[in-house]
Amino acid sequence: MSNLVELVINGLSLGSIYALIALGFVVIFKATEVVNFAHGSMLMLGAYVIAATHGRIGFPAAVAAGLATAATVGLLIDRLLVSRLRRRSHTALAIVTIGVDIVLGAELARRVGTEVLNMGDPWLDHTWRVAGFTFPVSRLAAIAVALVLIVAFAALVRYTDWGVAMRAAAEDAEAASLMGIRLGRVSMVAWVVAGVLAAVAGLFLATFPSPGLSATASTTALRAFPAVVVGGMDSLSGAVVGGLVIGLAETLAAGYSEQLLFLGRGLGDVAPYAVMIAVLLWRPTGLFGTRELSRV
Amino acid sequence: MSTLRVDEVSVRFGALVALDAVSFTVEPGTVHAVIGPNGAGKSTCLNVLSGVYRPDAGRVYLDDRELTRLRPHHIARLGIARTFQNIEVSGAETVEDNLMLGRHHLMRPRLAATAFGLPSVAREERRHRTRVREIADFLGLSAALDRPAALLPYGLRKRLELARALAMEPRLLLLDEPVAGMDGAETAEMADVILRVRTELGVTVVLVEHDMGMVTRIADRVTVLDFGRRIFDGSPAAMAADPAVVEAYLGGAPSSTKEPA
Amino acid sequence: MSDRLNRLMPKAGWVAAVIVLLALPLYVDGFWLSAGLVAMAAAVGAVGLTLLVGAAGQLSFAHAFFLAVGAYGYACFSGEPGAATLGLGLPPALGAALAIAVTGALGLAFSPVASRLRGIYLGVASLSLVFVGQHLLHNLTGVTGGFNGRDTPMFTLAGFDVTGSEPPVTVAGVPFGATERLWYLGLVALAGAGVIARNLLRGRTGRALRMVRDSEVAAAVLGVDVRRSKATAFVVSSMFAGAAGVLSALALDRVVPDYFGLLLSVEFLAMIVIGGLGSVGGAVTGAAFVTLLPIVLARYSGVLPLVADAGSGGVDAAVLARFCYGAAVVLVILIQPDGLAGLGRRLRARLGPAVPSLQEST
Repeated sequence: MSNLVELVINGLSLGSIYALIALGFVVIFKATEVVNFAHGSMLMLGAYVIAATHGRIGFPAAVAAGLATAATVGLLIDRLLVSRLRRRSHTALAIVTIGVDIVLGAELARRVGTEVLNMGDPWLDHTWRVAGFTFPVSRLAAIAVALVLIVAFAALVRYTDWGVAMRAAAEDAEAASLMGIRLGRVSMVAWVVAGVLAAVAGLFLATFPSPGLSATASTTALRAFPAVVVGGMDSLSGAVVGGLVIGLAETLAAGYSEQLLFLGRGLGDVAPYAVMIAVLLWRPTGLFGTRELSRV
Repeated sequence: MSTLRVDEVSVRFGALVALDAVSFTVEPGTVHAVIGPNGAGKSTCLNVLSGVYRPDAGRVYLDDRELTRLRPHHIARLGIARTFQNIEVSGAETVEDNLMLGRHHLMRPRLAATAFGLPSVAREERRHRTRVREIADFLGLSAALDRPAALLPYGLRKRLELARALAMEPRLLLLDEPVAGMDGAETAEMADVILRVRTELGVTVVLVEHDMGMVTRIADRVTVLDFGRRIFDGSPAAMAADPAVVEAYLGGAPSSTKEPA
Repeated sequence: MSDRLNRLMPKAGWVAAVIVLLALPLYVDGFWLSAGLVAMAAAVGAVGLTLLVGAAGQLSFAHAFFLAVGAYGYACFSGEPGAATLGLGLPPALGAALAIAVTGALGLAFSPVASRLRGIYLGVASLSLVFVGQHLLHNLTGVTGGFNGRDTPMFTLAGFDVTGSEPPVTVAGVPFGATERLWYLGLVALAGAGVIARNLLRGRTGRALRMVRDSEVAAAVLGVDVRRSKATAFVVSSMFAGAAGVLSALALDRVVPDYFGLLLSVEFLAMIVIGGLGSVGGAVTGAAFVTLLPIVLARYSGVLPLVADAGSGGVDAAVLARFCYGAAVVLVILIQPDGLAGLGRRLRARLGPAVPSLQEST
């Protein structure tokens, strides 16, 4: 029983990290219709900058540098590539981000190599015992930070001019543009915000209980894709729910892997994808995604 | 010859009622126009007839066959062809290949035979290409057969889409604003083509249109929609004198709701 | 006269290319033949993927999974019975055919998902097959050999070794060993794949797929069963991947799970984009580019500046190759959306006779 409670808390924590990644992904999709396959590399870049600089400039400054770098890359992708490709097909836009991912991913994999990099975070491997349960502090920190960021993000979307403009652009970009909304700015801010969220997620993916940042982090980051699809690709609340669902599925599958051994080792890694297929069979546009008007 | 019967069809998009219990009957061999101001539900109506939207209530019949539950490709195979307001042709393909797409449902689906290039597949392809050239001839597109559709001027692209619909050998042709964006001469030509389709090919035509002049000239019967409701159904002559129609077109404030495409 | 010349030129080019490819084993050493074999296997897969992504507009990362099914399927059907890993001992040609059929069947099994999703959703959903596939390859040890993989069974055809040297054959003084023989099998497979794909793309199927890509609604009202078309594209493309998997297994001698990871799927996408989406010739060219580039760079790393030794942590041939094809993907989409194939067409158009402009018909 205690095991289950710990697993659920850990699952929610991992899920909130996935939610951050998924939120960034969805906001890019809503604002620019780009399915960003370079999202994992942006995350990895942010985490790598933190890992590479904290020794010299300290953890807080390193985090700031990591967030700034990921945001800058987001901005560059938007300005140099996406903004030149408006009105092209979704496939073309997605493929451009695959190209970026190939280059960025190759360089980061080369730099990290086979090492496991320390993130220099203050939580170390501390745990917190309460009522007989044990929780890693870094996991609790992840939940807290994610919660703050998700609330801040929701406020950004709901109350700022940018949020209104972004939602209008998602409804109908052409009409929004005619009403004087500057799509370029909407798209720029979306990419920057997504970069920041991805870097924060990258930090927490590489802290305890993970041993540090290794080349496999980008594979872990990919599990935010099932989160996005489960929630519905154009739904911000869906991204959060999808993130939590996937985090829970992964943690529970890994936690009960002994009992589930007949399904093979490493079940946690594949559970998110199994959940995604199941949801897609049931609802092709995810739990909260906009359903197609036409049927063909 | 077959009759198309629209029976109490309603379509809602969230709070917006796009069609509100609309009924009308299209008699075989006629040109039937569906008109109305922007946002009246004309395009929605066409989308229901071609199966792209499933109505929330009501039914559509082709003779005794109910169409409402069928998917669009099924309806197409029953002999209902349509065009789109904002031309949907494959720009990179030649005019001839675009027209061949109209023959899709008339050709046998033989994947393996096609893959291995059996002679019977080539023979079938040639037979259909011959027919497609006749149709291109009928619509004056022969000279453009080898050109990519994207390079055609607007008027010809519109005509290509009509030709592709005719290549399906339909019983019923649904046209979504066939003269939108055309000048007077082009409009007159298109009107002439539509009448020839009806008389020479015996195809029943349902026409969604904006251009009142064209409608009164070629339609045998007119259904007028306003805010999703049917406000008139009858001959073009009677329409001009109908107070409700005059009100909707001249008196009523122009609707600002965007019509779902 | 020049008109006839212009019509004959492409044909002459084809004949020359075929002669060169047929004669290559007489002049080129085993290293390059092996590299060429890997490229040919990739080309078969790329041709299949361009049907799905290029023609039907359905983005898919599942290709590596289907390659794995083909490769392992062949190993199982034609593997020696009684070994540590499952082997049915079927004749190799039959085993290869069955492996391709099984790949198609698995593609069909996934098609309820594939056919209901719009292109971009499929892109994300198809990631699942790669990871589920990796999980199975690592865990079904009795079939796959687990992490260490399993050997590829020999390919013999009516007593003639294709991946061996019995009975011995010598052509123009060059002894034809496994690599030389496999080269011709690869050529036959590639030619077959190319012809089949061209036939499909030119006919009823290809027209329908391209219309589905351009507008699902328009395709549907033209009588095209959109879901069925997408499912067909998915199944056919996975069968090409199955064939590519069998060829890869033969070319590599051994199948291991790590080869069939996400990176392979990404490479396949890079191939068809660089070559020009929807073009058979482009897919082959792109496959040659993406597979041969790291091999060429590694071979000449001693001579080339900037190329570090593998494992040194510097920019080695593999990393440099990824930089190149990643950048090529971005550049193609930005400035030349129809890829190398489009570039070729444009060059030919410039060299060929001017197309007489058509009179506007009314």
